Formats: sequence, C-alpha cells, structure tokens
Amino acid sequence: MAYTTFSKIPNDALKEPMFFGNPVNVARYDQQRFEVFEKLIEKQLSFFWRPEEIDVSRDRIDFLNLPDHEQHIFISNLKYQTLLDSIQGRSPNIALLPIVSLPELETWIETWSFSETIHSRSYTHILRNLFTDPSEVFEDIVTNEEIQKRASDIAGYYDDLIHATQFMQLHGLKQTETDYINLHGHKETLTLRSLKKKLYLCICSINALEAIRFYVSFACSFAFAERDLLEGNAKIIKLIARDEALHLNSTQQILNLWADGKDDPEMAEIAIECFAEGREIFMQAAEQEKEWAKYLFKDGSMIGLNEEILCQYVEYISNQRMQAIGYEAPFDVKSNPIPWINHWLVSDNVQVAPQEAEISSYLVGQINSKVDSDDLSTFEL
Amino acid sequence: MSAKLTVDGIEYPLNTEKTLLENLESQAVKVEFHCRDGHCGACRCLLISGQPEYISYPMAYLRDGDVLTCCCTAKDDIKLATYR
Repeated sequence: MAYTTFSKIPNDALKEPMFFGNPVNVARYDQQRFEVFEKLIEKQLSFFWRPEEIDVSRDRIDFLNLPDHEQHIFISNLKYQTLLDSIQGRSPNIALLPIVSLPELETWIETWSFSETIHSRSYTHILRNLFTDPSEVFEDIVTNEEIQKRASDIAGYYDDLIHATQFMQLHGLKQTETDYINLHGHKETLTLRSLKKKLYLCICSINALEAIRFYVSFACSFAFAERDLLEGNAKIIKLIARDEALHLNSTQQILNLWADGKDDPEMAEIAIECFAEGREIFMQAAEQEKEWAKYLFKDGSMIGLNEEILCQYVEYISNQRMQAIGYEAPFDVKSNPIPWINHWLVSDNVQVAPQEAEISSYLVGQINSKVDSDDLSTFEL
Repeated sequence: MSAKLTVDGIEYPLNTEKTLLENLESQAVKVEFHCRDGHCGACRCLLISGQPEYISYPMAYLRDGDVLTCCCTAKDDIKLATYR
C-alpha cells in the first residue's frame, strides 16, 4: 500500500479506477479512460493568465471613495477568497495525488491546483495596490471568526482523508501492530472502504466549495463593477470565475461518474450510502454562505445588492448545482434574482488575444519611443 | 416547412444556424447560461425528441437524455424540456 513515484507494475491504465487503484506510472495522454479530464487540462491551459496583465491602479481611488460599510464588504470578500484559494492551491495535490490512478486525472489535479495558486497570487496583486502594507488584511484571515467558521468545515474533510491515507501508506490496513488514531484522537478501524468513503465526502465538500462558496464574493465584486467601480478587481474575478467553472466541472464529473457506476463499483455503492450525507454537506455550505452574506451586510447594503437578494442567489445557485449532481432542488427560488451576473460568467473564448496564439512577434510591454515629425504628417486638426 | 423548436410544450420557429441557446434567447425564453462554452453545464436541458448536433465538445457531465444548449444546433424539429 506504500506510495511509489513510479510503479513497475505493467498495468493497463484504461482498466484502473479513478482512485485507489495502482499508482500512476507512465504519464501518457494518447489514451484516456475518461477523455473529459484531458479536455479540461487543455481548456485550463488555454485559459492561462497572469494577474500582472490586469491594471488595477484605478481601483485604489475607487476603494478610498467607498463608504466604510462597502469597504468592509469588499475587503471581507477578498479575505474569504484568499482563504478558499489558499486551501485549494495545495489540498487537491496533497489529498488526491497520493491515491489517484489515472494519468489524465493526475495531471488534471495538478493543473487545477496550479491555477488556484494563480488566483492566490492575484489577491496579493489586488491588495498590494489598495494598501501600502497589506499585512493587516492577510493576518486577519487566520484570526477572523467568521472566516474561521468556514475554514474548519472545508479543511476538515481534506484533513480526514489526508491523515487516513498517510496511515494506510505507512502502515498498511492490517492494524494488528499499530492502531489508527484519527484526527479527533479516537481509535478507528480503517478499511479500504472507509477510506473510499472519506474520499467521497471530501469530493462532495470540494464540489460544494467550487459550486457555491465562491459565488457570494463573485456577486459582490461584479455588483461593484456594474456601478463602474473597482473594475480591475472585477476583471481579475471574471478570470477566476472562468477557471472555477472548470474546477467545478471536474468534481461534478467525478461524483456523477461514481454515482452512475461508470468507475469503481464500490464507489457507486458508497454514493448511495452517503447520499444523505452528501446532501447535508451542500445544505450546510449554503447555510454558511447565507450567514456570510449577513456578516458582509451587517453595517449596511450596497447599491444593487443586499442580504436578502444575496441569500436568494445562494439558494438559486444551490438548486442548480445540486441538480447537476443528481439531487432534487431543495429551495423554492425559481428565477435568478441577479440575472446580470450571468454576463460576467461568460467564458469569452471567442476573443483570441495575440499572446494566446503563438505569434513570435508579439512582445509584452514594448514601446517605440522614436517619433519623427513625418509620422504625424497625415494628421489633420 | 421550417423546422420547429418545442420547449416545455410551446412551439417556436427554429433557426438551424444558431445554437439552441441562442434560439431560446431570441424567442425570449428565459434560460440559464454561464460560460456559453460547454463546460459549466448551466444551460443543460432535457431532450425529448430530435437530434442535436454539437458544434464543440460538450464538456459538462451529460446523463442520458441531457442536452447542452449552448454548444449545439439542430437541423430538424427538436423537443426540449427545461430543468425546473
């Protein structure tokens, strides 16, 4: 059960399950058990962007002109997103790479996590521009109670899986000589099935995170930009939202492939067994996001968005996301309370920037400082 | 005889050049969309009858009978139902 970086078992990757089969050996992409992960890698790579490409210099003026309660909304959201991406930039790698068995899925996880690190870097880019010293904002993330409430919930499922996987890979699953003491300090009998269950719940939690947790902050950022405020920030958030749609797609794929019995048959059983628990994870996330909306608007609403509308949006998007993984829509909201948000979520892939195609003549930040009076000869006033 | 697009029992004329999502929008049918690129799954509908033709790879997870309206057209009559 120990992890090996290059397994010498001549296995057929097309017959492996997504997780808990043989470790991946040859990183080959000419054949895939699940083609969609290869497509996701390609798409994510084509979406590559750097925070520095986006000019956020005007945002500082906008930010300083905001009333205090709107500054609170803006900064709190950035803090929360920083937390989410701090978790997502590392946890899929640590939790899922040791147990993955398909080369295309392994590479997708790495590509996914890498893109989350770009998001983290972009928050620093935004905050460095707003504050001379952004330390105070970053430091508050680990002490802010409202953020902590969510953090422990999200990290909990990851940590459970990581801890149990580490035990399995170090001691195997016999537990005749060494007992498994879980993160809560209790003795627990670890089996392959119980590990798979931890994995299932972890993916449910990641799915809820990508599906709804991000969208409360997105809505606020776009609401500012609808008023022509903090547009640099909104451009960055638009790129982040585009990436997140891909990440969400992958967790929905994994959950649906399991539930529909297209992967490991044992995972199909676990999907049925944990159906209610998976739903509860989603409902809990929706509830927490509504509480977050309450915290955001504790000192007052912003133009175009208030606690009630944002909570309705949480319910609306939860309905959609839950239907996508086979649950009934739990909330009554039938229509989108903020339909304008959809225009910010369009992927825009038709607009090909020169740097996306390989044009060798395209140079970033080049200027021609030689201007001759002949250059202006055709100008007329 | 021009082709028809039926959604939740209501018939609309079908423009075979446009995607099904664009068709719905041009008939002022309120449908959800996000990415318009086939990967987010927001525009997913149920296919009752007809043959959608995908113009790009539908990346979102599709169960049997699902159709992703943002990235397919139809050449002939097609019947859909929205998820609601």
